[in-house]
Amino acid sequence: MIRDITIGQYLPGKSALHKMDPRVKIIVTFAFIIVIFMCKNFWSLGLMVLFTALCTILAGVPMRMMLKSLRPVMVILVFTGILNIFYTSGGNKLLEFWKITVTDKGIYTAVFMIVRIVCLIAGSSLLTYTTTPTMLTDAIERILSPLKVFKIQVHTLAMMMTLALRFIPTLIEEIERIMNAQKARGADLESGGFIKRAKALIPILIPLFISAFRRAYELAFAMECRCYRGGEGRTRMKQMKVKATDIVASAVTAALLGAVIFLNIYFKPVIG
Amino acid sequence: MKDSIIEFDNVSFTYDGTEEEQKERLPAVKEVTLSIKKGEFVSVLGHNGSGKSTLAKLCNAILIPQSGKVTVCGMDTADESLIYDIREKVGMVFQNPDNQIVATIVEDDVAFGPENLGVEPKEIRRRVDESLKAVGMYEFREYEPHKLSGGQKQRVAIAGIIAMRTDCIVFDEPTAMIDPKGRAEVMETAKKLNRENGITVIFITHFMEEAAEADRVVVMDDGRVLLDGTPARVFGERETIRKIGLEIPSAANLADMLKENGIELESDVLTPSDCIDAVYEAARKAGVCS
Repeated sequence: MIRDITIGQYLPGKSALHKMDPRVKIIVTFAFIIVIFMCKNFWSLGLMVLFTALCTILAGVPMRMMLKSLRPVMVILVFTGILNIFYTSGGNKLLEFWKITVTDKGIYTAVFMIVRIVCLIAGSSLLTYTTTPTMLTDAIERILSPLKVFKIQVHTLAMMMTLALRFIPTLIEEIERIMNAQKARGADLESGGFIKRAKALIPILIPLFISAFRRAYELAFAMECRCYRGGEGRTRMKQMKVKATDIVASAVTAALLGAVIFLNIYFKPVIG
Repeated sequence: MKDSIIEFDNVSFTYDGTEEEQKERLPAVKEVTLSIKKGEFVSVLGHNGSGKSTLAKLCNAILIPQSGKVTVCGMDTADESLIYDIREKVGMVFQNPDNQIVATIVEDDVAFGPENLGVEPKEIRRRVDESLKAVGMYEFREYEPHKLSGGQKQRVAIAGIIAMRTDCIVFDEPTAMIDPKGRAEVMETAKKLNRENGITVIFITHFMEEAAEADRVVVMDDGRVLLDGTPARVFGERETIRKIGLEIPSAANLADMLKENGIELESDVLTPSDCIDAVYEAARKAGVCS
């Protein structure tokens, strides 16, 4: 059961999005987020929604998965909606009771904000759906490598991320084993109030930490045995190359930026 | 000696640490003189605390002896500037398969060693594929390590070492934490690499059956080398082996018991297959079967 867990939320595939250079993909995603925040009316936002939908289809990500990625932000969506409906001033009054007024402008703003957040989440989920965690950390290392000039240990950071990803399933397995061992000794992990349950976690966390430290120690040995000596003089098996797809993707993003600026000027803004 | 790859010359090692740790860990290694020849398959036996793991760690400069000298291909392990040259020659596979895999994808992990050595990307690719094929894990190259069995993980770890083009692999009880099937896989892989690729193997274990398959067996006790020779010779010293609390391989044990009951087997029996042959031969002679 535990063997089936996948780190991150990568969906294997062979689409153009999967094949893109992860560095370009990260940068394009950032640009996409900025463009979304530049949208000022439904025309430009609609264009972005269309683009996100197209990309989702292109990547072959099922709608179900996209909706799943929205679940954690549901609360934020509802909250944003309510706040915007009740606290936007101006516009035509539609409803008025007690101290609350609802205006058409408020509803527009609420819908606009919700669509914007959904678009944002969907767009960035596409990045993690089409890129393996290893590729992501690799790409981040390479994008940030100019920071070496400021004596920031980019390689060390990336290595830490990779190792963390590597050991998540191992440690989950370990937690399960320790929990079972403590249950077998009569530990009660499920009943009682918050404080009692928190206290019951101590006999799980302590062995977990001890074993994690031992693992770290052994891993360091193993890495040294394989001649690891930091990022200096290291080569990489998987080279990253900017291909035609990446250039097209960058061009499309640039075009999108242009279109959004044009639509913002041409049509009346909803917000701001 | 020209044909030796690792040379222990009167080596002693004591762990430092708190008094309690010292009491617990002593004795480590005492005045060991040993020479491992190129292409040999040596297994090192000993019960817990006999110093066999310490011996392994002395082989590739993880530990430096306090007295005496360890030389790898003529390089002194005490010379800090040679540390990575030594580790390029002598690789190590550890007990816990989980704690030696670095990457989240099998092929990336195998590439880790050559990447550290600064090998050209294309050459790394070639070596990774070659190494994974050599340990029979090529079909699993895109798997995540946590989805593999213990034996498979150990084979990935072995591939990670041979991708560095090491001349010698030290196995530090690689089979202690895995199931019998995985144990057989690891042993087979080690034997195959020794036979086909000419890699020197030092196989530390406490399974007598595994030790019996080596060219040479070294028995450690209390930090010293107690016995050193062919499996037949070492396991011939039944009394000494039993005295230090080790068992002789069960096939040899069976042969002994048969002997006690008046059934004489012709040849020395150490491995199960030896045993089958010998028993069959004896049965044929006795006219029990054809």
